[in-house]
Amino acid sequence: MTVVEEARRTANGLRTASGSRLARFILAIGTIVVLVLVFRLSTNFGVFPESWDIGLADPIDRARRWLISNQTSHWLYTAFLNPITDAIDWGIRRLESILKWFPWYSYPLITGVGLWWTRGRVAGVLGLASVSLIGIIDLWEESFATLALMGVSVLISMIIGIPLGIAAWRSDAVARVVRPTLDAMQTMPGFVYLIPFVLLFGVGRVPALISTVIFALAPVVRLTEVGLRTVPQVTVEASEMFGATERQTLRLVRLPQARPAIFAGMNQTTMLAMSMVVIAAFIGAGGLGQVVLRAMQSIEVGQASEAGIAIVIMAIILDRFSTGIATADPGHDALALRWLAVAVTVVAVVGGLLGHNEFPESLNWQFAPYVDDATDWARDNLYDIGGSGIGTGPFSDFVTLRFVTPLRELLSSDVPWPAMIGIGVVLGLWARGIRLAVGIGAALFAIGFLGMWALSMDTLAQTIVAVAITLIIGVPVGIMTSHNDLLRTALKPVLDFFQTIPSFVLLVPVITLFHVGRIPGIIASVIYALPAAVHYTDLGLRRVPAEIHEAAESFGATRGQRLRRVEMPLAAPELMVAVNQVIMLILAMVVIAGLVGGGGLGLEAVRGLRRSDAVGRGFEAGIAIVLLASILDRLTRAIADRLRPPAAV
Amino acid sequence: MDTASETAQVRVEGVWKVFGRKPGEAREMAEAGATREEIQTTTGSVVAVRDVTFHVDAGETFVVMGLSGSGKSTLIRCVSHLVEPTEGRVELCGVELTRADHATLRNLRRQKMAMVFQHFGLFPHRKVVDNVAYGLEVQGVDRQDRQDRARELLDTVGLEGWGDHYPQQLSGGMQQRVGLARALAVDPEVLFFDEPFSALDPLIRRDMQDELIDLQMKLQRTLVFITHDFAEALKLADRIAIMNDGAFVQVGTPVEILTSPADDYVRAFTQDAPVAKVLQACSLMRPLDGTAVDPGWPQVSMTTPLETALPHLLGSTSPVVVVDEDNAPVGLLHGDDVAGVISENRP
Ligand SMILES: Nc1ncnc2c1ncn2[C@@H]1O[C@H](COP(=O)(O)OP(=O)(O)O)[C@@H](O)[C@H]1O
Ligand SMILES: [Mg+2]
Repeated sequence: MTVVEEARRTANGLRTASGSRLARFILAIGTIVVLVLVFRLSTNFGVFPESWDIGLADPIDRARRWLISNQTSHWLYTAFLNPITDAIDWGIRRLESILKWFPWYSYPLITGVGLWWTRGRVAGVLGLASVSLIGIIDLWEESFATLALMGVSVLISMIIGIPLGIAAWRSDAVARVVRPTLDAMQTMPGFVYLIPFVLLFGVGRVPALISTVIFALAPVVRLTEVGLRTVPQVTVEASEMFGATERQTLRLVRLPQARPAIFAGMNQTTMLAMSMVVIAAFIGAGGLGQVVLRAMQSIEVGQASEAGIAIVIMAIILDRFSTGIATADPGHDALALRWLAVAVTVVAVVGGLLGHNEFPESLNWQFAPYVDDATDWARDNLYDIGGSGIGTGPFSDFVTLRFVTPLRELLSSDVPWPAMIGIGVVLGLWARGIRLAVGIGAALFAIGFLGMWALSMDTLAQTIVAVAITLIIGVPVGIMTSHNDLLRTALKPVLDFFQTIPSFVLLVPVITLFHVGRIPGIIASVIYALPAAVHYTDLGLRRVPAEIHEAAESFGATRGQRLRRVEMPLAAPELMVAVNQVIMLILAMVVIAGLVGGGGLGLEAVRGLRRSDAVGRGFEAGIAIVLLASILDRLTRAIADRLRPPAAV
Repeated sequence: MDTASETAQVRVEGVWKVFGRKPGEAREMAEAGATREEIQTTTGSVVAVRDVTFHVDAGETFVVMGLSGSGKSTLIRCVSHLVEPTEGRVELCGVELTRADHATLRNLRRQKMAMVFQHFGLFPHRKVVDNVAYGLEVQGVDRQDRQDRARELLDTVGLEGWGDHYPQQLSGGMQQRVGLARALAVDPEVLFFDEPFSALDPLIRRDMQDELIDLQMKLQRTLVFITHDFAEALKLADRIAIMNDGAFVQVGTPVEILTSPADDYVRAFTQDAPVAKVLQACSLMRPLDGTAVDPGWPQVSMTTPLETALPHLLGSTSPVVVVDEDNAPVGLLHGDDVAGVISENRP
């Protein structure tokens, strides 16, 4: 075949492809309109029929009852689950008692020296002060509970994750199983992991730990694999040429070079574990999360803020420490630090022997009352400022009445359920093809069969509103930062800070201002997802090559034209990735917000975790959350791929 | 073209390397004379090395020269067995690598061979001294001993005092010195060089070439050296193999290649070669054969480039006397021969 023919064929192929793309899009829109109209005419298609509920909750509840009554007798427990439980529990207890053996003052000192080492003097001083603050506000005990749970979770994650990463790197067969599993695991809101383990183990620290490990495992596995994969081949060849064995090459050449990636994975895993350990308070994991949870349930905002601050402090210290450790360069301070480290070790051991392990009560000081006062003041004064109809209350009402409720009504009953499924299928067909379409259809039907249709539409409505708000704020900010390095540098620490905070804690300041209901959940999720929206928009726009900017400019395009005609379309796939990330983050948060009256699937799942007679419904809600998350994830990813220009041949 | 010598330390016979899923079919096409592109479009396989045979004697510098993509790296990887040849025999220091098990191969690598890479292949996470000591570490040499040996070698390559730096902190030329020291540290009999100087600036490249020549004078190792730079090949080689499309086109001494290029492909290189700069008096001289040397004839040393000897020959009918280090005459350089080589290359 000649080159010309080849080129002509390719061109034809492209034309038909883009032609069919347009045709399919028009077809999709048309089908949606028709579906809505057809079903709108017959009024008996509102909510998914209740009689179709397969009633999964009952067998689950029965299973739960069976499990509870057999916990001491059945071999499944005596031979298998109880030993695991005991071992894990022993590990946590052991770590906790070791941590508590050391004198209280060794912790601020160790943190100070550690952060000085990895991050510099300022960080060291701040670390010392903030750890002391945790003791001062009298959350010492609870912090140790959280720290012990964290420590064991992270340790187990590393022990499983690093070898698993190595295995996935070494064997394609393992990678083929591990990678999609991790992908699937990462799409699920962490909260959902709690449900099956509560079912199996009951409440307590053990199911908390297991779900934390599973939730947090993905990054360390993935980054270990990536790190090993990206070791330059030439260094491996060099090692082989010296007659190194496989093992020697792995130990001396591959792993050390993969170290930065593995550390990055460990950092992400640690942060995920932190956010999960806090959420695990829902199933009685204890610690700081429990304090926040209890305080939020009784709307003691002051107490919740104190525990929230302690959690944020712990998260930030762990983050700074685990990102700093790979690049630590104490420079001039190295010698001083070495002596300090020795001194602190001596102090810690001597203090431990003397038994100074209780944080002295004389140092306690609580700021909860002030926060409570401020909250009261805010409620009295900001809720409806001077009776003007401006304030957080009217704002909540406005968003609820104008957007959330109508959207929920629209999705759950105004648009007939078959039309909703039709829309999902058509979108799937348009975005990727028949397989995605079938998958979405099946998932939506499954939600209906679980009896979770209305609740799912409620959650979906909240998610859509939150996503819209996030994008309306985040995308323009991302556009600005992509054009302005100064702004970007200024915003970075703020965004980093918000990403470090465990999701659950974000609810605390929000309920201070907005009380309970759907709005605090939505606002917290907007705050939670905003950094991702800004970051990915910025990233997408920055990927547009400079030459293209210049080319556009050379045609005399204005800034606005350039943005609209050139940059946005080119960045579209990245922007869609931003949308994907935002949706996943928001969904995770909206679910947790079930706790503060967010309603929807989250509330049902929360109830399932807290009341043993509601486990079945909770389980159903959990499955519905997973299904909803997968639908949204696959669909947005498929659309992102769709927007990518055809790859070079 | 290969007369298997008794002293050969590297022996390569009929080596093929085909990347891809249909090596058999690709090979058949190659034997029928198809080019690499034709084979690739038909079978999807790449014939990187086709039927290469050669040997390298102990102490010899054997240079493989070819354009990029001609299969040089694949060939040297077949010889050092980083890549398994699809077919053929490779023998190193009397051991047949193509039949050896893992342990034999590993021991051979630990004791007999070493390689210097184009992009250095240094370990970025190890200090320079630990890079150099790597081969010894793998062999299980004590820390103190291997560090001493490594520092000794750093001195040899002119990097004393740089041991505690990391490779990234060094310039390209210095990094390749580290690469060289690392290879020499294990005291190998055979050294493989895969375009070691290609990534360096021209001036530094020349220094490195000169130093390699000096080192080789002292150490007398067997070198297999890959380059795409014909001038470099002429400068370093005892014998050169010209490679094209996976196969050897010609193997010979620099003079043989310059004076009788096998085909147009080789001629294309020789034409642009700075012959008069590269060739030295010793490579074109004729033996004395009892000729009485006239004391009035000009004298040059064996390593004098032709360029420098040329003025003595121009406008004179008498030959130039080539003398060794002790100023004893060893041969005669005739104007006709020099003119022959230079005109062969400037048609
Ligand atoms: N691992 C490989 N897989 C497939 N093809 C390869 C591989 N390595 C090299 N090749 C192909 O073999 C040919 C020779 O490559 P190489 O030996 O690197 O040439 P050189 O070193 O002379 O530049 C090239 O066409 C290259 O694309
Ligand atoms: Mg090469």
